[in-house]
Amino acid sequence: MLANMKKKLPFIAVVFPLVCMLALFLCMPVIGMVLSSFQTDTNGAWTLSNYHEIFTNSFFYQAFYNSALIGLFSSVLGLILAIVLCNCLLKLSEKWQEKITVVTNLVANFAGVPLAFAFIILLGNSGILKLAFPHLMTFNLYSWRGLVLTYLYFQIPLGVIFIYPAMRKMKKEWIEVSDLFGASRSFYWRKVGIPLLMPTLGSTFIILFANGLGTYETAYALVGSNINLLTTRISALIAGDVYARPNVGSALAVVFFGMMVLAMILSQLLVRRVRRTSL
Amino acid sequence: MKKKLPLSTKLILLIFAIFYATPFVSTTIYAFATKWGKTILPQGVTLEWIKQLFGDTNFYVAIGHSFLLAIVSLIVLLVVMLPAVYVVYHMFPKVDYTMQYFSLVSYALPGVILATGLLKIYSGSQIPMFLVLVGALFITSLPLIYQGIRNSMVAIDSKSLIEASKMLGASSMTTFLKVILPNIRFGVLLSSLMIFSGFLGEFVLTNLLIGGRFQTIRIYMLRRMNENGHIASSVMVVYFIILFLVGFGMNQLSKKMKESANNTRKKRRFGRESQKIVEKNTSTAKIS
Repeated sequence: MLANMKKKLPFIAVVFPLVCMLALFLCMPVIGMVLSSFQTDTNGAWTLSNYHEIFTNSFFYQAFYNSALIGLFSSVLGLILAIVLCNCLLKLSEKWQEKITVVTNLVANFAGVPLAFAFIILLGNSGILKLAFPHLMTFNLYSWRGLVLTYLYFQIPLGVIFIYPAMRKMKKEWIEVSDLFGASRSFYWRKVGIPLLMPTLGSTFIILFANGLGTYETAYALVGSNINLLTTRISALIAGDVYARPNVGSALAVVFFGMMVLAMILSQLLVRRVRRTSL
Repeated sequence: MKKKLPLSTKLILLIFAIFYATPFVSTTIYAFATKWGKTILPQGVTLEWIKQLFGDTNFYVAIGHSFLLAIVSLIVLLVVMLPAVYVVYHMFPKVDYTMQYFSLVSYALPGVILATGLLKIYSGSQIPMFLVLVGALFITSLPLIYQGIRNSMVAIDSKSLIEASKMLGASSMTTFLKVILPNIRFGVLLSSLMIFSGFLGEFVLTNLLIGGRFQTIRIYMLRRMNENGHIASSVMVVYFIILFLVGFGMNQLSKKMKESANNTRKKRRFGRESQKIVEKNTSTAKIS
């Protein structure tokens, strides 16, 4: 055993910097965040009041609600539109499919400040599209609906990245066989297509939902702190000049992190089912 | 083989294309428009905004900061990760298995949460916030680079290469430097470019950890957005061009990768590489 250890020692030394980075910039911050969430902001005494405040103050409750609402709508719509897009893409020739996947990867990175600004030009208070189509006048970009529309711009490509490989594996022959047996297309999707894709769709939905919840830059550039969201609320609490209450922010971040980890475990369980049922 | 596409498919694809092109097009037009707000088309075309932008020293500073941050972070990432993935993948399969799950951390740990913890530990400490930012970027890009390097090693069947190289008497170090690194260079470069373009556009962590004291492209963009939309658009156009160049490079690279994968030359190159190592080892053996 000891000889084995000695033999492995140089290799452990190679991994050591990685371990250091993980300890310094991942483990310590997370532990520090959890610890400070149990301390008061005024004198650092141990307390549960931060958590008590989060779960009783309607202000924080509203942040959870808004984030969940936007996350849910943007992920469900994003998922549906990603399926529609994948379905169309698969009808194209191989060459075009490849080109479009490259573009999709690029577009998935077009989020944040530039995206927010582009949508302000188009649909802001004096947006160009509002001039062109007056009945869009009532659409408010700086509302949760506006955020959902803007989020969709990066949620759809992200969905495509995960769904496309799975949909590619579905054989065209399956549709032909089901046609041959006289089944309708909707019957095929209900009984064959959707059940086979279900695990992939489930885990993709969770990733999109988590992504929607965690988005900060786009929301910050678009609405600032006008809409009470988890991410903008946390950032105002930890780095704000006026409302800085870092330990309450930590508690909020810990709860948020817990939700995210739970979601990821769920998606992993789904992925494991995928491996078992193929596709 | 040309297939006729159904009209509905064409229509849906067209709608998606319009949805995805419009923001790019409108931003670009806005950057060159004199005044655009009361009419459907801009009132005139001008280079005024671009000129103003290139006359602003803060703009160069912001680009410099972004590149500095991206280059330093990428170097740290590669120096730490290349040997580490090599060792973990080949020597510690159990660690490798858990690292696969790690990729989900990037989704479970949004920048805001990571920044909360980092500020808690490091704000007011001796460590400069720039280094903390580099560390934070390291953590967020860990899954991507790990997967990237690992996939490249799987693609070249590194396990049998290492075996062959060991059999020929090369040390692990020589194998890594002379056999593995040259063969995974395209794959690693590809992931590096992807991560690099992400670093260039970093906003969340920079803004929360350092804020206005260290202006990067995106922070500069946001500041200009609140002052003059036309100049903000010009910044975005420049930024898109940079990203496009990076993307173009990536595309060329992946083409090259495919070519070299299809080529039988690849195998011959492996042969030559190991031949060289043998020659080197025998020559050092003679000297000693």
